[in-house]
Amino acid sequence: MSKPALLSLHQALRKGFQTLESNQKLWRSVLAECTPLMVSLGNLAEQLRALSRVQLSNTPLSAFPDLQQCLHFKLVQATDTVLGKLSEKMSSLQAARDAISNQVSGVFQVYEQNMDSLDLLTLTERSATAPSAADMMEWLQDAERHYRHQYLRRKTLLQTFRADDLSLLESAPKRWESLASPSAEDRITDTLFKVSLFMETQ
Amino acid sequence: WDEGNRKCSAVTGSARKVRDNAADWHNLMLRWDKLNDAGFAAAGRVVDLRLRQSHGEAPPPALSSAHADLQQECQELLDVLDKMAAVVMKMRRLAAWQSGLVDLERFQLGDEGRPVPLFHGWRTAQFEEASRQLLEAYGRELKLKRAVLQELAHTATSDLCMVYLSCWLHQPYTPPQARLRLEALLLETGHRPL
Repeated sequence: MSKPALLSLHQALRKGFQTLESNQKLWRSVLAECTPLMVSLGNLAEQLRALSRVQLSNTPLSAFPDLQQCLHFKLVQATDTVLGKLSEKMSSLQAARDAISNQVSGVFQVYEQNMDSLDLLTLTERSATAPSAADMMEWLQDAERHYRHQYLRRKTLLQTFRADDLSLLESAPKRWESLASPSAEDRITDTLFKVSLFMETQ
Repeated sequence: WDEGNRKCSAVTGSARKVRDNAADWHNLMLRWDKLNDAGFAAAGRVVDLRLRQSHGEAPPPALSSAHADLQQECQELLDVLDKMAAVVMKMRRLAAWQSGLVDLERFQLGDEGRPVPLFHGWRTAQFEEASRQLLEAYGRELKLKRAVLQELAHTATSDLCMVYLSCWLHQPYTPPQARLRLEALLLETGHRPL
């Protein structure tokens, strides 16, 4: 009987789901922190746009000859600060993604080490308390892929932002929102529900 | 005087004065920041009311009440600006004290000034310079805010309103070094641990 092999696979799966659960929370909270930053990025772009459209020498502010330059500098500086904060957030997202990826590849390692003693029947067998090992491995892999994609797409978007590309910056909050994939997130939450009983049994 | 005990020398005479001035700079700049936030909120409401008026969103009977609102917000902004002017006034006094100190040392000790620094390494003139630069930045900022206040309620183009608001919020004449200069001042005078 392949009991010890299945047991160690189950153990690895439990750990994988635990990591997934805690990092899903982390991911969500980091994303929530990004939203106000994106909004201020959009605001700053709007201010820069307004400044570029106004000819200050034709306004009551003409008494301040270097104002245009000074204000522009300050706005760009503020934009840079926000972008810097966002890239810190990206590091947190990367850490969450890496934690999940590492744990999932650990599960597959355990599986490959015990492949000889795990036949198809053992892998696909499910009980009232536990889904089949094959299913659980697939769910983990799906979740891992989701975070990997999400990270890449967000990182790519962030890398295209530059302080002098106003139209892109103005649309930053919308673009950032559009990357969200609530259905995939829901699927992960569902998965965690499905394995909740399995995770409680040791 | 009291060279043997330089750490505690900051309790008498010129050193005491410089140290107190540094603390005052810190407090005044904090106060300025708070006033700036309050002023920005009021300025935002002024612009909001003004733009809504000029877009004719308010029905005629509501117009007079909107006018009163605008008046009230402008008054609030004016109050904030008066307080900011008072802050700059105090800053001016600090800078004057600081330059008086340089004069005093020149009188007492000749052109070479003090042989041993008051605190760690700054010459007395450097305190004066730091004060002067900070005062200059805040003085210009105040002038800009006065100009913004005068025009804010009479501007109907949204771009210019936006520029006024950015001027208020981002304080273009306060260079990023201002904050560093203050921190250097606080470090030198021992308010911040080295």
